[in-house]
Amino acid sequence: MNSIVYLLIQLLVILLVAPFVNGLIKKVKALSQKRKGASVLQMYFDLYKLVKKKPVVSNISSWIFHVTPYIVFATALAAALLVPVSTKILPPQIPGDFIMVVSILALGRFFLMIAALDTASTFGGMGSSREAMISALIEPSILISMFTVALISRSTSLPQIMETVQKVGLPLAHPVYIMVGLALLIIILAETCRIPVDDPATHLELTMVHEAMILEYSGRHLALLEYGAAVKQLVFMTLFVNILIPQDQMIGFMGLGALILSLLIYLLKVILLALAMGIIEVNTVKLKLFSIPNLAALSFILAFLGVLQFLILGGKHV
Amino acid sequence: MELYVRNLFLMSVLLYVLGAAASALIYFFRKPDKTGMTGSFLVNAFCIVASGLGGAAAVAKILFAVNPLELINLSSAIPFISLEMNLDNLSAFFVLALSVLVFSVSIYSIGYLSHYNGKRNIGLFNLLYTMFILAMIGVLTSANTVCFYIFWEAMSLFSYFLVVFEAEKEENTKAGTVYIVMTHIATALLLIGFVIIYSYTKSFALNANTMAIPGIVKNIVFVLFLIGFGTKAGVIPLHIWLPHAHPAAPSNVSALMSGIMIKTAIYGLVRFVLCYLGIQNTWWGIVILILGVLSAVLGVAYALMEHNIKRLLAFHSVENIGIILIGLGVSFIAFAQHHQIVGGLALTAALLHTFNHTLFKGGLFLGAGAIQYAAHTKNIEDLGGLIKTMPLTALFVLCFSLAISAIVPFNGFVSEWLTYQSLFANILPEHIGLNFLAVLAVAALALTGALAAACFVKLFGISFLGLPRSEQAAKAQDVPATMTLGMGILAALCLGIGLFPLTMIKLLDKVVFSVGGGSIYGQLQGGFMLAYYPLTISVNSISPLAFILALGAIILLALIVIRIVGGKYIERRYGTWDCGFEALNSRMQYSATGFSKPIKIVFRALFRPVRKTIVEGDSMYHPESIMYSTTVTSIFEDYLYEPLYRALLRFSKRTKFRVQTGSIHNYLLYIFALVLLLMLYNRFA
Repeated sequence: MNSIVYLLIQLLVILLVAPFVNGLIKKVKALSQKRKGASVLQMYFDLYKLVKKKPVVSNISSWIFHVTPYIVFATALAAALLVPVSTKILPPQIPGDFIMVVSILALGRFFLMIAALDTASTFGGMGSSREAMISALIEPSILISMFTVALISRSTSLPQIMETVQKVGLPLAHPVYIMVGLALLIIILAETCRIPVDDPATHLELTMVHEAMILEYSGRHLALLEYGAAVKQLVFMTLFVNILIPQDQMIGFMGLGALILSLLIYLLKVILLALAMGIIEVNTVKLKLFSIPNLAALSFILAFLGVLQFLILGGKHV
Repeated sequence: MELYVRNLFLMSVLLYVLGAAASALIYFFRKPDKTGMTGSFLVNAFCIVASGLGGAAAVAKILFAVNPLELINLSSAIPFISLEMNLDNLSAFFVLALSVLVFSVSIYSIGYLSHYNGKRNIGLFNLLYTMFILAMIGVLTSANTVCFYIFWEAMSLFSYFLVVFEAEKEENTKAGTVYIVMTHIATALLLIGFVIIYSYTKSFALNANTMAIPGIVKNIVFVLFLIGFGTKAGVIPLHIWLPHAHPAAPSNVSALMSGIMIKTAIYGLVRFVLCYLGIQNTWWGIVILILGVLSAVLGVAYALMEHNIKRLLAFHSVENIGIILIGLGVSFIAFAQHHQIVGGLALTAALLHTFNHTLFKGGLFLGAGAIQYAAHTKNIEDLGGLIKTMPLTALFVLCFSLAISAIVPFNGFVSEWLTYQSLFANILPEHIGLNFLAVLAVAALALTGALAAACFVKLFGISFLGLPRSEQAAKAQDVPATMTLGMGILAALCLGIGLFPLTMIKLLDKVVFSVGGGSIYGQLQGGFMLAYYPLTISVNSISPLAFILALGAIILLALIVIRIVGGKYIERRYGTWDCGFEALNSRMQYSATGFSKPIKIVFRALFRPVRKTIVEGDSMYHPESIMYSTTVTSIFEDYLYEPLYRALLRFSKRTKFRVQTGSIHNYLLYIFALVLLLMLYNRFA
């Protein structure tokens, strides 16, 4: 019973909130440019429109091109099921930990990268090649930063980690978590294809990464890919907010009310993070491709410093 | 029960011997063409049945027989030499890996060898092939070091002959020379180690008591074994023979060499260091862990720069040996500190990865062979679009690629997950230095996984997708069904172990327990779900099966929703966007070089790329042709082996005329001096 409720909540929250977050970030960018911008709900309309459109498929492509959108979307959502949005309702055991989440997302990325090569388009190859580089650079820092929080809670399972950090009080005031938090922030920017790593608004080949990979897609395929990207973005944001700003320990009671309250606070945190990401995006410039290693290295060093601090200080609970 | 297992196993060995005898007959009395193929089919059929029986015997041994089985015990008139073969759990596990691989490779070979038809003596090939398998079985079951040494040498020699089987190509003979030299240096070190141990225990038996050996001697022997086995395994910096030898051998042999022969070195390390010598110091494990990290990262990095499929795969073998060694190193560290459970977990991870690597790397080499069979090239840059002509091969290679990149739901993920867990469990508050190492190993594993994925996107994407980049690739035709079947079996096993890892872990647990590791199976729960409960209260678990079910459900749901909202699926086929210029052609696609270029630039300090541009034509602005080539520097060959080789040459040049004067009197003097020395040594020592 618990498991079913958990699954339903995860599915509903992630699916409903993900496009909204995208709209919110776009809105922040528009407002900063003194534009009115599209509605925050624009992405829902876009998805609807795209699903209705007849897709154009390259005549060079194979079945890889057709299955990829489904796999990308399904892997993002499957990964989302393993990252609890609220700790107020948890199944007895979640069959997967953060290593699995990384691996699941890698499955989606693998297909996205080969699908980009499937159409024989130069853009696809370019995006795929760049994505390969960026993901290789960012992966160690994801593992190390998550490993650090896992060490503190002596478990690699995400619900366990989230429950442990609730006992820390204010993790963001703790040196280990500060490092991990900063590392995660860079990871989020890189994994969700945002400035300074990639530019979601561009269609210039010099700067494209994610957009180049999905260039040949249209119609329902594109809808799935866009939706998948939004879900993946929310997965990383959830990871960030629920580990670094835990809130469920403040709710002193149990039951349905606590769950709703917890979800509302979660929503608030996500909105705040989205606003912050929008502001970061407005205030930074896109790095040139070969400066991304520096950013990734920074993220890795921060994560590594985090784990070193934990190992030396034994940073249990403050 | 034990008698049945023994007989089953001996029957399998007998069938291999029959296969070898049959191929020898075909070799000597061959008629051109037709009989060669029939004979080859027969020999491969022998191998298929033999490996089936051998695999069954191995599983039965592990599951039902507790004590080691004595297979053969023949003493001979020559002192010290007796043929003793035992099958214990550890041997049985490796025999299982060998049998599974031989089973599918032999099926594959039926079709694959047809391209030698009329060109080469297939009887000779089959003879070498079966003898190679027999030698490996001998290595895995030997019960004394002399026996082990003889089989080890036989294994090296038969594989050498197979590497130079296509001897008319100069690069093959060169590769063979590098291989045989490296492997003999290694074997010599092993022999020294065996003799040192003998001088203390006065016995060659593998169950001899080595407690009495002093610590310092044990350390020396460990280093000898590490270098000896490390060379065979292809550990960096002893790996240089691997990327030469694997591409030279026929693909079915490459599959065996990479799939199981280099694993005999892992077997050797477990057998001789863990079981025979006993872990004495923590630094043994630390050295292995560091070597593992180095091999994993550098192996995959060099693989990314390769465009010859088989060389690329050879470097991935180096990488995967590195991952296995990370697990092995952690287990040795844990055993040295008497953490039997952590040690057991890490050893399980290492052995499971060994098995998994046998499956997917064997499969990948078979895939490379299929590509070569169909398109007559090993160069990725000349391939493309093969998914349309060989759809099943493409599907299987995709499975292997996902497995080797440690992606769910394939087997590679499970063993890497266990490796992560063992690193995680090994981080104990009391050893700060070790903890740093473990964290670095985690980072290295993550980097390795991501780079491996990049590399296999390149391999799969460039060779199977897009437009064909050459005539041959465009004209490629699908391979015989037996070849596809051989790959299909391995792909199914990769997925099967990935989805139901507990079946393998149950088997492995008995193996690990028999070599002194703590049983982790007691801590596993949940039927078909893999759930490893660490020692603390926390709950870590993964379930690839649950994931794949969820994935299926989500896809189904998405399909239904899209169908309802968007209506029936109608697509419009149109050309790929060509920027509005002329029609797209295959030269506009990304090449493998282009694909890996960003990574090359990022790690340029490691690769030291050299580029050459040759412009032809009179005008600077309108050149007739531009040739661009780029290569990476192999630092180990250029900075380690080249100077070493040159120094050796210099040294031998200098001594040539002083020591080897060519005068028989001098040589007699040497012999006399040596005899005198030996007598004196015997008198006083």
